[in-house]
Amino acid sequence: MVTRFPPRSSRPRGRLRILLASGAAALALAAGSVVPGNPLASAPQEAQAADGKSTLTVAVAQSVDSLSPFLAQRLLSTSIHRLMYDYLTNYDAKDSHTVPGLATEWETSADKLTWTYTIRSDSKWSDGEKATAEDAAWTFNTMMTDEGAATSNGSFVSNFKKVTAPSPDKLVIELKRPQATMTALDVPIVPKHVWEKVGDFSKFNNDTKFPIVGNGPFILTDYKVDSYVKLKANKDFWRGAPKFDELVFRYYKDQDAAVAALRKGEVSFVAGSPSLTPAQAASLKTADNIKVNDAPGRRFYALAANPGAQTKDGKKFGDGHPALLDQKVRRALFMAVDRTTIIDKVFQGYAVEGEGYIPPRYGSYFWKPAAGQKLAHDPAKAAALLDEAGYRKNSAGKRTGKDGRPLDFRILCHATDPNDKAIGKYLQEWWGDLGIGLEVDCRDNVSDPWYAGEYDLAFDGWSVNPDPDFVMSIHTCAALPAKPKETAQTDNFICDKQYDELYAKQLAEYDPAKRADLVKQMESRLYDTGYMNVMAYPNAVEAYRTDHIESITTMPSDAGNIYGQDGYWSWWSAVPAAGASGGSSGDSGSSTGVLIGAGVAVVVLAGGGLLFAMRRRSTAEDRE
Amino acid sequence: MSTESTPALLKGAAGVDGVRTDGPAPAGPSVRGPRARSTTAYLRYAAGKLAGAAVSLFAVLVTSFFLFRLIPGDPVKQMTGGRQVSTEQIAAMRKEFGLDLPLWQQFTEYCGKALTGDFGTSYQFRAPVMDKITEALPATLLLTGTAFVIYTAIGIWLGARSAWRNGSAGDRFHTAFALTLYSVPSFWLGLLLIITLSVGIGPVPGMFPTGGMESGSGSGFAHVLDVAHHLVLPVVTLVAVEYARTLLVMRSSLLDEMGSDYLTTARAKGLRDDLVRRRHAVPNAMLPTVTLLFVNLGNTVAGAILVETVFSWPGLGGLFYQALSVPDLPLVQALFFVFAAAVILMNTLADVIYPLLDPRVGR
Amino acid sequence: MTTTTDAAPAIGPRALTWARRRHAAARFWRQYRGHRAGLAGLAVLTLIALTALAAPLLVGADSLSVTAAPGGPLEEPSAAFPLGTDQFGRSLLALLVWGTRVSLTVGLLAAFLSVAIGTLVGITAGHFKGWYGNVVMRITDWFLVMPTLVLAIALATVLSRSLWTTVLAIGVTTWPTTARLVRAQTLSVESRPYIERSKALGGGHRHIMSRHVLPNVMPLVLAQTTLVISTAILTEATLAFLGLGDPTVVSWGGLLQDAREAGAVSSGNWWYLAPPGLAIAVVALAFTLCGRTIETVLNPKLGGSR
Repeated sequence: MVTRFPPRSSRPRGRLRILLASGAAALALAAGSVVPGNPLASAPQEAQAADGKSTLTVAVAQSVDSLSPFLAQRLLSTSIHRLMYDYLTNYDAKDSHTVPGLATEWETSADKLTWTYTIRSDSKWSDGEKATAEDAAWTFNTMMTDEGAATSNGSFVSNFKKVTAPSPDKLVIELKRPQATMTALDVPIVPKHVWEKVGDFSKFNNDTKFPIVGNGPFILTDYKVDSYVKLKANKDFWRGAPKFDELVFRYYKDQDAAVAALRKGEVSFVAGSPSLTPAQAASLKTADNIKVNDAPGRRFYALAANPGAQTKDGKKFGDGHPALLDQKVRRALFMAVDRTTIIDKVFQGYAVEGEGYIPPRYGSYFWKPAAGQKLAHDPAKAAALLDEAGYRKNSAGKRTGKDGRPLDFRILCHATDPNDKAIGKYLQEWWGDLGIGLEVDCRDNVSDPWYAGEYDLAFDGWSVNPDPDFVMSIHTCAALPAKPKETAQTDNFICDKQYDELYAKQLAEYDPAKRADLVKQMESRLYDTGYMNVMAYPNAVEAYRTDHIESITTMPSDAGNIYGQDGYWSWWSAVPAAGASGGSSGDSGSSTGVLIGAGVAVVVLAGGGLLFAMRRRSTAEDRE
Repeated sequence: MSTESTPALLKGAAGVDGVRTDGPAPAGPSVRGPRARSTTAYLRYAAGKLAGAAVSLFAVLVTSFFLFRLIPGDPVKQMTGGRQVSTEQIAAMRKEFGLDLPLWQQFTEYCGKALTGDFGTSYQFRAPVMDKITEALPATLLLTGTAFVIYTAIGIWLGARSAWRNGSAGDRFHTAFALTLYSVPSFWLGLLLIITLSVGIGPVPGMFPTGGMESGSGSGFAHVLDVAHHLVLPVVTLVAVEYARTLLVMRSSLLDEMGSDYLTTARAKGLRDDLVRRRHAVPNAMLPTVTLLFVNLGNTVAGAILVETVFSWPGLGGLFYQALSVPDLPLVQALFFVFAAAVILMNTLADVIYPLLDPRVGR
Repeated sequence: MTTTTDAAPAIGPRALTWARRRHAAARFWRQYRGHRAGLAGLAVLTLIALTALAAPLLVGADSLSVTAAPGGPLEEPSAAFPLGTDQFGRSLLALLVWGTRVSLTVGLLAAFLSVAIGTLVGITAGHFKGWYGNVVMRITDWFLVMPTLVLAIALATVLSRSLWTTVLAIGVTTWPTTARLVRAQTLSVESRPYIERSKALGGGHRHIMSRHVLPNVMPLVLAQTTLVISTAILTEATLAFLGLGDPTVVSWGGLLQDAREAGAVSSGNWWYLAPPGLAIAVVALAFTLCGRTIETVLNPKLGGSR
């Protein structure tokens, strides 16, 4: 019943058709590769924008969560707010000591509880109004009274008793207890006359009217969700106008895409999240017109051990391994970690070996253990320590305690962090040699098991600010949760009386040198107790195009990072390279687009014409 | 990449609800069939299908709510972990998101609001979820729509040609090539395209942008061309892995048709080979393909998640993946609902339109 | 009329059944042999299976060790390392061979789970028509409209990261297609006269479903299994690529994710990216070809030379 139609009689016609088709395809390929290829492949986009504006485009891997400084949590958002709004004080680019910002000077009362700031008179909001102490007072008071407004920075004002502005240039803050971090208030000051109209702070994202009124070095002019943020230079900025006319943060979800965009000149700067991978850095170092900034970082990367989760009242919960309560075991574990290999193999040289808690770039607070105190890499000694502690190897080579329970630990790892996964592999093998089992538990959400105390070990790390108060406070007993499994300030449930005493002292110590000494003593104590062992300080690895950016200030200015600074130095000081507009202005993109569009149209028309011709011929020959 | 099985079986699956008969039974959506082709009967049938769709949609709503509550994790903890927050701030956030209410209450509130189109506020963006979705929807529609049109056209054209020249070298080549591309992971193909055509490898220059939907602020026609420029690689990736299914279904249904008597009659009457194919065989063979097209479109929207991730395309797929990691419950639930709703809608459309196209149904 | 089979005659009914099955299998194989595509697929699969089984002998378990990695990071292909090295310095060829085990295992297990659920649901739904059948088919229809990838991603996120999660996610989201097919086939089988006779002879539900329906449905299930394996392997790679797989095992999808995380795309390290994806494509294609050939052999009505 299946009737087979006679096969096409003309074989030659079929072959001819194939020939023609392949010819058309070849033409299309040639058109596609030759015509638009040249403008793009040879030189990166350097065309001057039509109006001669210089633009600095930064590729970022985060998208903005909120443009409201009261709600934003992400690093990108807070970085942008640093550019839009001035803070009371700033940190010097050279060594991070406090320098004037919106406030020119400040003094404390004798009882250490009243701080008086003098607000400068030459700071103007972008709508022409003068910035005064009234704005600062209003900002702080709003955070103190409105719950929604306290979302991002409420912790800064928790110790404030009263904030007033007795005159336009005087801001007075009364505290409940002495607080040494008053010269490190990272709170954007917003214009009262604009923000007092806001109804619900928890819902207002500051994205209704552009340009956004601010008094920082840049003014936010345009914003497209998950795409870009555009800022223009504030010519009236009191410290001096930025050299670049325009600053654009463009969102690239994929790190590789951002690096490729840098190569092609679509962007001027790539920050990496948190830094470029060693492979990317290595390949960018060999590229023309690209400089890789490999600088000391702000982060520490540590191995945390569970000291037994407990609440403020001392109620224990969670299921941390009891063996970790033995200091010898903790020391043995850390001594078996070959940090040199980690720096060489995992970070491939883009990190520095860990010592004390605070990274070395904060010179005044950095602490190193003395030779006798240091836990150097020594697997033999580690094995001996474990034997001493009563964990001997059984016949199968696994260490067991007196109760016969083998030493098996779990380590919490962030599923999105390749370093965690990589180091986890090494730890499994090193500790496996010691006879200890390790289960690497990688999760998207580590917070839950962490706060529930259901972990033995974990990869931990924080970015440290010039004022280290926050990262020190998370290890105090006051940071413990009120109820079991609740979120809390605490990072690793550490609660040590000696540490807490030192913490209270340093918070009330206004003399910088004395305070630094107290902090170092705290770091020493932390090192000795051994619940937080720093393995490395990862470098900040970034890259930018030298044909877009002539010079740019890092922080610290000798060697430091550019993106995510504690200040606006990088973008504010960046000087455009001669004859470059930097980044894509859309013009080159469109000219290529025209060419490609034309190419496609030609191909389609040619193909259509061919097909039509074929059809006519086939029906003619097929006519019966 | 969609995870359906290959066409021949899908034909059966999309097929008759009753007994799988031998012989040239028309393959179509599950149709009890109105006995007489009257308008009221058809309307009743269509209404029945729509009601079924509504039930399915509600079931999806329920699932989306409970499924994602299973995600381990307190979104407040996840969002604030790694930052300075006080306990009061955390409590305030919980209250803001309604996370302190008992589960049943959260559910009934959710359902009630969903009926009015309010899917809540996104945790991480602090904006209404519907806003985020409507922002991302056009990008996804552009990508999947363009890909859909192209791969349908290619699939139908090549499928028809292959069937007509059954057994020839061309037929075998096309089938083999389509099957090969169908087996390729779409994200891998995307990455390879980026390496070769975007970054440039060896002598091949990088011709296309590496990601995103647009590069700049050009307006009007320049903007359109810019977006088109960015659209090329993602569309090529999607088309490559999806056209095979359409091709194979078209081919097999046309092969089925070719065995029919009426075509012999047509040819005997003197019609050109070409016209026999174009006017008789293909239109009839298109019917099951039409069903498949609707189902495909629904699935392509979800399958575009991978392509959007690889190319940083600002669409629903990328949003979904971003939201899962927090977990941004309102956004995830709403997106899940949107994806499923797309498929349900397309299936219902196919069910409702099919009887209009095929007069044989309902005989 | 019942016959007892105590004192066995020359050839017992059981032996007869087996002989019949052997003949059927031989006939199947003869027909299968005639399809080149199917043979190619089968050859590839045998090769892959042998590689997977012989992996410890071929490359050794210590090629997975990071502390004993022989090479430098991300080296280009060379005589010592035919496919280059990964970021730890391990030979990529060795990793690719090891990945075969996980990818195949997960693919096979997931497919079996999916087909098992689908077959069970399909046979019971087709057999017990009434309200049970309706309810089950409603549920199946509902599952069919779920976008499978979205559901698999959601499940993989909800559960912890392990191979079993992947198997479960794939199995639970892909069974409906099988169920529909098996149900249709069950209905067809049960309309045949010998089923009626069996019922008349007193055959219960279990007897009919297991002795009559199941063997008739098996060929279809077999074809479906090979096709589902292909899908399962692709889905496993997808889930691993999205970061939802088990990061402590080596799989092809995991290799692709590692490549991406190491920045291989922008650095132009094509040797890290191309081979795993190619391997996935080849295996998926091989299973697809086999599946299509089995379908053709079992159901010649599916028409034409496929």
